[in-house]
Amino acid sequence: MTLPTSPAPTADPIAALSASWFGAGLSPEAVARLAGIAELRDVAAGTELTKEGHITDAFSVVLTGRVALRMLVPERGMVTILTVEPGDVIGWSAIVPPHRGTANAVAIEPVRVLELQGERLRALLRSDHALAASVYPRLLQAVARRLAATRLQLLDLFAREEWGRHEVQPW
Amino acid sequence: MVSDDRSPFPSWPAAAPAAPVPALPAAGPWFLARPNLGVLIDLLRSDGRTVIGPTVEDGTIVFAEIASADDLPAGVGDVQAPGSYRLVTHANRRVFDYTVGPQGPKRWLFPPRAPLSVGHRDGGAVTFEPAATEPSRLALIGVRACELAAMGVQDRVFLGGPFTDEDYRARRGNVLVVAVNCTTASSTCFCTSMGTGPEARGGYDLVMTEVDDGFVVRAGSPEGADLIARLPVRAADAGLVVEASDAVARVAAAMGDPVPTAGLHDRLLAQWDSPHWVEIADRCLACANCTLVCPTCFCSSVVQRSDLDGKVSASDRVWDSCFTVGFAKVAGGNFRTRYRDRYRQWLTHKFATWIDQFGTFGCVGCGRCIAWCPVGIDVRAELMAIAPPLATRAEATPVLPVAATPGDYVTGRVIAKRPETADVTTLVLGDLDPAFLAGRPGQFAMVTLPAFPPLPISISRFGRDTIELTIRAAGPATAALIGLSTGDQIGLRGPLGTSWPVDRAVGHDVVVVTGGIGLAPLRPLLDALIAQRNRFGTIHLYYGARTPADQLYREELRGLAARGDIDVQLIVDRAGEEWTGPVGVVTHLIDRATWDGSRSFGFVCGPERMMEATAEALEARDLSAERIFVTLERHMECGIGLCGHCQVGRLFVCRDGPVFSLPQLGDLLGREGI
Repeated sequence: MTLPTSPAPTADPIAALSASWFGAGLSPEAVARLAGIAELRDVAAGTELTKEGHITDAFSVVLTGRVALRMLVPERGMVTILTVEPGDVIGWSAIVPPHRGTANAVAIEPVRVLELQGERLRALLRSDHALAASVYPRLLQAVARRLAATRLQLLDLFAREEWGRHEVQPW
Repeated sequence: MVSDDRSPFPSWPAAAPAAPVPALPAAGPWFLARPNLGVLIDLLRSDGRTVIGPTVEDGTIVFAEIASADDLPAGVGDVQAPGSYRLVTHANRRVFDYTVGPQGPKRWLFPPRAPLSVGHRDGGAVTFEPAATEPSRLALIGVRACELAAMGVQDRVFLGGPFTDEDYRARRGNVLVVAVNCTTASSTCFCTSMGTGPEARGGYDLVMTEVDDGFVVRAGSPEGADLIARLPVRAADAGLVVEASDAVARVAAAMGDPVPTAGLHDRLLAQWDSPHWVEIADRCLACANCTLVCPTCFCSSVVQRSDLDGKVSASDRVWDSCFTVGFAKVAGGNFRTRYRDRYRQWLTHKFATWIDQFGTFGCVGCGRCIAWCPVGIDVRAELMAIAPPLATRAEATPVLPVAATPGDYVTGRVIAKRPETADVTTLVLGDLDPAFLAGRPGQFAMVTLPAFPPLPISISRFGRDTIELTIRAAGPATAALIGLSTGDQIGLRGPLGTSWPVDRAVGHDVVVVTGGIGLAPLRPLLDALIAQRNRFGTIHLYYGARTPADQLYREELRGLAARGDIDVQLIVDRAGEEWTGPVGVVTHLIDRATWDGSRSFGFVCGPERMMEATAEALEARDLSAERIFVTLERHMECGIGLCGHCQVGRLFVCRDGPVFSLPQLGDLLGREGI
């Protein structure tokens, strides 16, 4: 009886965007404008969608499947920092200067995204202030949510104290 | 299965009104001339009592054994002020012309160290025997009204509730009390505000009021009347009786009412966030003097004295203080690191949450904490500087665990062991007292081995004849438990604490959110949900772990997910490339879920900071706070609300928890330093 956690795939960009967490927070006009330059794209498991330090070409909304944000730590290999679940966004660096990726976004299963080319999207936001006024707060919310979650992760709440590090513990 | 989040313990019954002094045929008043006071002491000694009375020692007047009236502090008085205590010499030869010394009768009735039990370990077998107390018969002479009141408070703590402290009972039953009404007061005294003095109103065998040439004496018990019959007394004439009562009335008038107590409980509990706590902490040294001299403070810890090979180990109860660094410590940290938190704990307990716990104030107004504070913090001034919401407490149900009191254990036997992760092991215990099998999901046991401190451990499964304990290695005691072999015995008390309200969730959706080892106390809840799967709506389980390797019960989780009627979502804080599940914090999954929580019950267990974030995420999904339940972890020694360690505001985690609803905790969840 698992409840669906992602909208059912659809071929209509407007419907797909509206049903996503990101799109649900935009005005209907903004959804229509964004969908106008968006393309549905199916990517195979293992595909890299953004690369840390490289120019991010596209901003995407994940519709189905799971994308891992990974960073390379020498001697530890690729570490997954966060997974992006359906409804959330990847490639926000395509909108925010200097447009360089902050992590490697890798599809860890077959993923369908709604993809917007960075240059076109930026031009559209520059020219349409009403669109920008709808998109930017939502984008900021997406990034802020990730920041808040990262802080909790940073607390490493499930780590245990090493015994004897500070004093003798009775337990 | 009966299950709810109410405490399994009855709370303290309402205190019976103080027994009036019985009408005795020859109660008095009588007059005892001062030179004849020695006769009283001789009589008590010849009755086989050790006489404990005031005597000068180390520049103070203390209660110690006295051999004759010559040991009494004749002509010695005291001058007390915040942070100051000095003896002075008086021209008169009065023996009770002082107020109170640094220690009241507590030291004799609730000694700093008392034996609890002796444990033996022979290979895999363990046994526990309660320690026996055979206190000598005492006579306490010179007990003041505030000290009698303090004895009344400790009687209520140790004898008036659902559990009896046997050591205290034995000592208390062997004491004869000769009280003295106060005819002098120190600047630190405030018994008038606390309603305890300066005149003794019962609880004594004899009471004396000192006048110029001797004492006006009354009997307060048949034993006191019998003493009077053997004393060289004469009927006190009216002039003497008036002189005595006037002297006491003058003392009361001089004290006034420095701490108006009406509404103090609510006023104080409304001030968790008063900036004044910080100001007090700037002066407080956390030296614990106030708790050591307090005649009612009863917090204790259990310490082990074991032989070198750990085969025989004695458990002693020792005084502890909420001001000590380790008092609120758990394996993962310390809940009250700051002095302001410890001072707040002490003051709010004495003047507010003590009432919730025992129905009386924990302060009798003796002023010792004021005089003996090295920096002169005056509790009267601090109370008045901190100023006004209401305490409610969960109703209690009278279901009692086995081996409830700290000196008492039953045993269980390890019948299987299962490693869960690199540092977590599950012990399956059999050979159990049936009380454990009747335990409810969320309850815990106090678990011990001789030579190690008892630890509160959640019961992670109730089987037909077994229970399971899932233990993380955090130090020597947990390592010893994990190191047990099949067939070895273990000491147990319980099951203790409140449980997840499974029955209340029937007919509703259920969201279980947990992290790390927090899955262990929720496992019996999951068992209960599965056992009656069709009585609940949708069930979601969200489980966060540090890494995939840190997940508990991996096989069982796979089994749950495979059922198809439970949504199992596992998330980790960090992972390598091999992990294809979600990475992030557990709230990450709740934020993105699409279910409607308005018909759901939420059960949450994990680190406090994670539970706080989860409660917020659940409320954002329309779960009502009344249906969100969390557990708290605190340092526990006794498990029955008597050692003081696990107090959180007006709640005791061992007794009122560990399972709490969000409204029960109010703003205490995630608050620093409580």
